[in-house]
Amino acid sequence: MKTCHYSCQSADHALTRRAFLGASAVGSASMLGFGGMVAPAATKQLTSQQKRVVVIYLAGGASQLETWDPKPCTDTGGPFKAIPTAVTGTHISELLPMAAKRFNKFSIVRSVNTGINDHGQGKIHMLTGRRIEPAIEYPEIGAVAAKLLAKEGAGLPGHIQITPRGESGFSKKDATFLGPKFASVGLLDGKPPADLFRPMGLTDATDKEREALRLKLNERFAKSRKSAQTEAYTESYEQASQFFERQEVFNIEKEDPKTAERYGKHDFGRHMLLTRRLLEAGVTFVKVTHSNYDTHHENFDFHIEQLGEFDRPFAALIDDLTDRGMWESTLLVVMAEFGRTPKINDRYGRDHWGTAWSVALGGCGIKPGAAIGKTNANGTAVTDRQVHGGHLFHTYFRALGLDPTKNFYPNERPVPIADPKAEAITELLA
Amino acid sequence: MRSTLSAVVAISLFLGFPRGINAAEPLHARIDQLIEAGHPDFKSLAAPLSSDAEFLRRVTLDLVGTLSTAVETRAFLADKDPQKRTKWIDQLLASEGYSRRMTQFLDVMLMERRPDSKVGRPLWEEYLRTSFQQNKPFDVLAREILSADGADTAKRAPAKFFLDRNFEPNQVTRDLGRLFLGRNLQCAQCHDSPLIDDYKQEHYYGLMAFINRSSLFPPGKGDTAAIGEKADGEVTFTSVFDKNKVQKSTGPKVITLKSIPDQKLEKGKEYKVAPSAPTVRPIPTYSRRELLASAIVESPWFSRNAANRFWAMVMGRGLVHPLDLDHKDNPPSHPELLDLLTKELVDHKFDVKWLLRELVLSKTYQRSSELSSSMKEPPADRYLVAVLKPLSPEQFVYALMQASGYTDSLRGIQKMPNETAVNTGLAAQVAPFVRMLGNQPGQAEEFQASLDQTLYLKHSAAIRNFISQRANCLLDRCGKLTDSKSIANELFLSVYTRPATADEAKDIADILKDAKDRPAVLSEVIWAMLASAEFRFNH
Repeated sequence: MKTCHYSCQSADHALTRRAFLGASAVGSASMLGFGGMVAPAATKQLTSQQKRVVVIYLAGGASQLETWDPKPCTDTGGPFKAIPTAVTGTHISELLPMAAKRFNKFSIVRSVNTGINDHGQGKIHMLTGRRIEPAIEYPEIGAVAAKLLAKEGAGLPGHIQITPRGESGFSKKDATFLGPKFASVGLLDGKPPADLFRPMGLTDATDKEREALRLKLNERFAKSRKSAQTEAYTESYEQASQFFERQEVFNIEKEDPKTAERYGKHDFGRHMLLTRRLLEAGVTFVKVTHSNYDTHHENFDFHIEQLGEFDRPFAALIDDLTDRGMWESTLLVVMAEFGRTPKINDRYGRDHWGTAWSVALGGCGIKPGAAIGKTNANGTAVTDRQVHGGHLFHTYFRALGLDPTKNFYPNERPVPIADPKAEAITELLA
Repeated sequence: MRSTLSAVVAISLFLGFPRGINAAEPLHARIDQLIEAGHPDFKSLAAPLSSDAEFLRRVTLDLVGTLSTAVETRAFLADKDPQKRTKWIDQLLASEGYSRRMTQFLDVMLMERRPDSKVGRPLWEEYLRTSFQQNKPFDVLAREILSADGADTAKRAPAKFFLDRNFEPNQVTRDLGRLFLGRNLQCAQCHDSPLIDDYKQEHYYGLMAFINRSSLFPPGKGDTAAIGEKADGEVTFTSVFDKNKVQKSTGPKVITLKSIPDQKLEKGKEYKVAPSAPTVRPIPTYSRRELLASAIVESPWFSRNAANRFWAMVMGRGLVHPLDLDHKDNPPSHPELLDLLTKELVDHKFDVKWLLRELVLSKTYQRSSELSSSMKEPPADRYLVAVLKPLSPEQFVYALMQASGYTDSLRGIQKMPNETAVNTGLAAQVAPFVRMLGNQPGQAEEFQASLDQTLYLKHSAAIRNFISQRANCLLDRCGKLTDSKSIANELFLSVYTRPATADEAKDIADILKDAKDRPAVLSEVIWAMLASAEFRFNH
C-alpha cells in the first residue's frame, strides 16, 4: 500500500489523519493519539502503564503433541509422557517441565485449525491474523502493536525481531501500509544492527558538532521547502541518535552470570535474555524466533533438543517479568506457522499440520491456567472451540485493552485491525 | 506543413481545447497554458521561475542523474546568455549521462528491483543504454520487450521482463496492466474490483489470455530457460462473490478492446515445433503471445501511461496519481493536458527525448520549489510550486560521488581522459546504495526513511570512504584554499550547486576558526551537508 503524500495542514490531511486514528474521540483517549480505538475502561490502565508484547516463534512448526496437547499411549502419541502442571487437571508434555510449573501464569488454546500446511502461508496467517488476499497485504502483529502502543520518544524502535543465525535481518515490508516507521528492525543472532556503532575516527565530540550543523542546515531549508517526506527524513536521524544512545541494551555480558545461567548460554537463551532487556528498555514488541522445529524426520529427538532449549529461557522470562512487576502489562504468545501431524511417518517424523494444534499465551489481559478447546483422543481433529489465527489476533488486542474491530485507513480505505469475520476468544480474557 | 498545421488546429478544436490554445505553439507553451488554467488564482499564487542554481541542480539530476561539477556550476551561473537554460538541456540530452539515467529509470520501472536470475544485469543495462543512445522510440522498445521469448541468445536481454518474473502468469498479468497500461488489475483477479468500477475480472483474464498458453522451458527455474507455448488452453474464471460459481472465459483482449479469436487450424498442423518430449520447447503455428506486443502498444492506454510516467519522472507526480490507478473515478489532475501529451507522444512516434525536452523547457517544470510565507501547503496536484522529489538510490549515490569529489578524483587519476574508466569506477559503488535504499522487489519504488538507512548514512564505511581525502576531491580542493569565504563557496557550489549565503559563509568561518584539524573538521562539514534534506531531495 502506498504511503499517503499528504500536505500537513490541509483539510485533506486533517480528515485523513482523523480517519486514520479511527474517528475522532474527545478526551484522554484521543490525547494519547489513539482516536476511538481504546476501550474506555482500559484508558486509565494505559496511561499508567506502558504495554508490550513478546511473540516466541517456533519456526518450522513445533509439534503440539510434544508440547501443549500430548496424547500418550495412543497410536499418535509417540514415546513421551504427559506431566501435571501447576493447574490440576491440565497436563502438558514431559518435555516442558519448567513451563508446566508455571502454568498458573499462562494459558493454552488447543483447538487451533487454520487449514494451512504451508510454511509461508502459515506464517503470514498467524502473524497477521488474516488469510492471504490478492489485493492487500496486512501488517504483522509487531507493526500493529508498535503503531498502537509505542510511546513517542521511546528511543528504541517499537518493533524488533531477533532471528537465529542463518536468517536475514531487516524486513522493510512487515508493516505494509502502516509504514516503514513500524517495520521490524531485525537483530540477526541478537546482534545490534550493522552501523549502529560509531566508526573508528569519529569521536563523540565530532559527531555532536556535525549533527549540530546538519540540524542548522535542515532548519534553514525547512523554512522554504518542506514535505512529509523531508520531515520523515530529518526525523529518522533523531531516531537513529536515540537508538545509538541506548546501545548498551545489547550488552548482555553485563548481566549477572547467574542470570545467564538461568536463561542458558545457548543462542535462544541469550536471545531471550536480550528480549527481556529490550522490553525493560521500553521496546513495545519483540519477536524472538527459535528454529529447527520442522521435524519431518527424527521428530522426537529433535523435540527433546529444541524444547530443552526452549523450556528454560521461557520459564526464566516469565519469572523475570513477574519479579519486575511487568507480567501484567506484557502479553506473551508462543506460536508457530502450524503444528505437526498426529500420524508418525516412516522416518520417525511428523509433517505439517494446520488442522488441530496449539498456541500458548499469557500475561496482560489473559486469564492464566486455562486450557481452551479440545482435540479428540488421538489429536486428529478439533472437537471443541475451533479457532484460527483471526480469533487469536482479536484476542491479543482485546487482552491489551484495545478494540480490534476499529479501522486503519490506508489510502482512505477502511481496514479493520483484525479479521471482521472472527472475534476474540472471550473465555481467555481476564 | 501548412495543411498539417491546420489539421492539427482542426483536431485540437475538435478535442475541445480551451480557447486561446494555439496548436501551432510548442508543446511546452501549451503545457503551461493548461497548467495555468487549472487553478483560478494561478498567476497570483504560483511561485516564480526557479533561480539559475535551482534550475541547474534540478534538471541535471532529472536528465543525467547526477550533479554538475563546481566548475560547470560556476560557468553556468556566470553565463549571461539568455538561452543558456535551453543550451544546457540540449547538452545534457546529448551526453552519455542521459542514457545511463534513462537505463536506471526504465530498469526500476520495469523490473522493480527483482533479483537478476535469468538475464544478467550487464546484458540488460547494455540493452537499455544502447536503446537510449539510439533514442529508440518507446513503442519499439516496448514491442521488443513484449515479444521476446529469450530463445535467441543475441536477443535475450529484452526477455528479462518475462524471464525474471519466472513467467509466473499472475505476476506477469498484473505487471502488464500496471506498468504498460497504468491499470493495477490486482483487485480484479478474484472478482470485479469492489472499489474500482472500471476494473473488471474479464480485463485481468483478457490480458492473461495472451500468455496463458506460454511457460518457461525447460520447466523449473533453470537460468537458461526460454518461453515456449502450447497450441491450446483457455483461461476460465469465476468470481468469489458469485454464489452460483458461473464459470466464464475470454479470449486475449486488452481491457475493453475486442477479444481476438483464435485462428482455426487443421488437425495435425497446430505446431511449428511440437512438444514431442517434456524438454522440447513447443512453438505453435498460431501464437497468442505473439499478439501481445501489438495489442498493448496500439491500445490507447499504452501511450497514455507512457506520457503519464515520463511526466511524473521530471515533474514529481503523475497527472494520473498513483501511476497505476488510471480509472474513471480517479481522473487525471489535468485531463486535457494528459490527452495532449498522449497525442503528441504518438504524433512524434514515441520519441522520448523529444518529450522530455519539451517537459523541461516548460515554465511548469522550471518553476521554483520555494514556498512563500503566505502559502504553506500548496495543493499537491496544481503545480503552483515545483514538487520536492526524493533522489532515487541511483541519483543519490551518483550525487554523493560528484558532490564529495569522488568522481573528480577518479577522473584525476586517469592518465588521459577516460570517461569509460571513470564510469566503471562509479558504477562499482552503486550496488550497496541500491541494496540499502531501494524498495522491496516487486513493488513500485517509493521513498522511505528507515532506521537502517539512516544508520548507514551516519556510520557506514561506504559514506566515510566518500568524505575521506583523495587527490582532486572536494576536501582536497578546500585544503588548498585559505580564506573561509572561498572555502564556503567551494563547499556549497560542489554540494548544493549554489553559492553560500552570507549567513552560511559566516557559519563556515566560525567552524574553521576553532578547528585544530582542518581536514578532519571539513570532512565532517561535508558529511553534514551530504546528510541534509537539501541534498537528499531534488528541489
